[in-house]
Amino acid sequence: MKKSILLAGIAVVSVLAVPNIVMADAKWQPQSVERLVKLPATYLTKSIDQDFRRSELGQAVIGAEKNIGLKAQSLGELNDAVTIADGEVKTELRHRVLVEKHAYLELMADRNDLRRKQLLTKRRLLDKLLNEIADQKGSDNPRQRALIAKQEEAQNRFESSISKVDIQLFNSVDAPQSKYGKKYAENMSAIEKLAQKIDSHQMNESAKLNGKAVTQEEYVRALMADTESELAILQQEETILGYMAKLVALDAMALSEEGLNAEIADSDIPDMSSPAASVDLFIASN
Amino acid sequence: MNKANLITAAACAILVAVSATSATAGTLENLERERAITLSNLISDDLSPIERQDRLRNAKPRLVDLERMVMRDPSLKGKNTPDVRRAFSNYDMTFLMHASVEKDRTLIDHWFEQMGVTTSSLMSASVGRR
Repeated sequence: MKKSILLAGIAVVSVLAVPNIVMADAKWQPQSVERLVKLPATYLTKSIDQDFRRSELGQAVIGAEKNIGLKAQSLGELNDAVTIADGEVKTELRHRVLVEKHAYLELMADRNDLRRKQLLTKRRLLDKLLNEIADQKGSDNPRQRALIAKQEEAQNRFESSISKVDIQLFNSVDAPQSKYGKKYAENMSAIEKLAQKIDSHQMNESAKLNGKAVTQEEYVRALMADTESELAILQQEETILGYMAKLVALDAMALSEEGLNAEIADSDIPDMSSPAASVDLFIASN
Repeated sequence: MNKANLITAAACAILVAVSATSATAGTLENLERERAITLSNLISDDLSPIERQDRLRNAKPRLVDLERMVMRDPSLKGKNTPDVRRAFSNYDMTFLMHASVEKDRTLIDHWFEQMGVTTSSLMSASVGRR
């Protein structure tokens, strides 16, 4: 019976190991940074999470978590059965519990591998996103900074002369406002109305951290810090899994020793291995 | 349409909206071409004063529009290329029309001044052999 349970346990573990090979290859190729950088900060997290959930890796994590849930459920049921069983059935059930615990730990370890892969990919993605934001914000290049300063200066000078040019050039009968000028003014008023609506849109609210509005860059940096902390927690969880595995191994050793002791106790053959124990055989009168 | 499709559609709409704001290429090149033609008309020997005046009258609104297009072109912001650097390093030469009106000068006077040719320098010049 014990052998059959052992074989069943091994079978369960090997059945679970087959999809794990597929799961280990699961990948997440996040959407392009150029696209993400254009999204409102509030929508960024949702977009990244959604992209992950749709990926092969995301599906693998969801599948692994489902398996872990089922395994925990069957472990709980087995633990309950151990408490009410006795004798040889109890020993067999305890053995089964150990096999199931081993399988549970393997599932947890596989899930953590997938989570690590997810977090490392997310960290790379956020890193690229920060670089993209920095590029768009204006580089550290002093020549480019100088150019932007000149452009702003030109813009101010230009704005101050626009109305003068309009008065001198377009207020006469022979030179009416150009097609571009008319259309531009029309479009500008439409753009202003749309911009006002966008500014007040609930999905365009600036991202908030601890109730305070933050820039997109600050928000991405906070996401990066969160990812780092999740990685650190994952590492800690692996230590816990290590201790759990050690406990399972010790339990297995204890169970094996108990089985051995019981076998010795049940034996009908007397212990005559030492001369002192067998001395009675020699002093008894014939 | 399910929720996921709706979200994708919304994200696409944002992308379309954002890409629609990206600027037309070549505004600066167009301005430079128009300005070069205008200047060549201004100093051309082949045109009569009336022809020159006509061409200038047609060119001015076009130049004004092109200068405004360049100034409003977001793709030029921080574009660190020699053309853009040169264009913004000399406002008076690039935005000829706006700069000349700002200084209450005619286009040709403003251009000559930028080239270092003033009425007094012309008046004091003398014909001679080099």
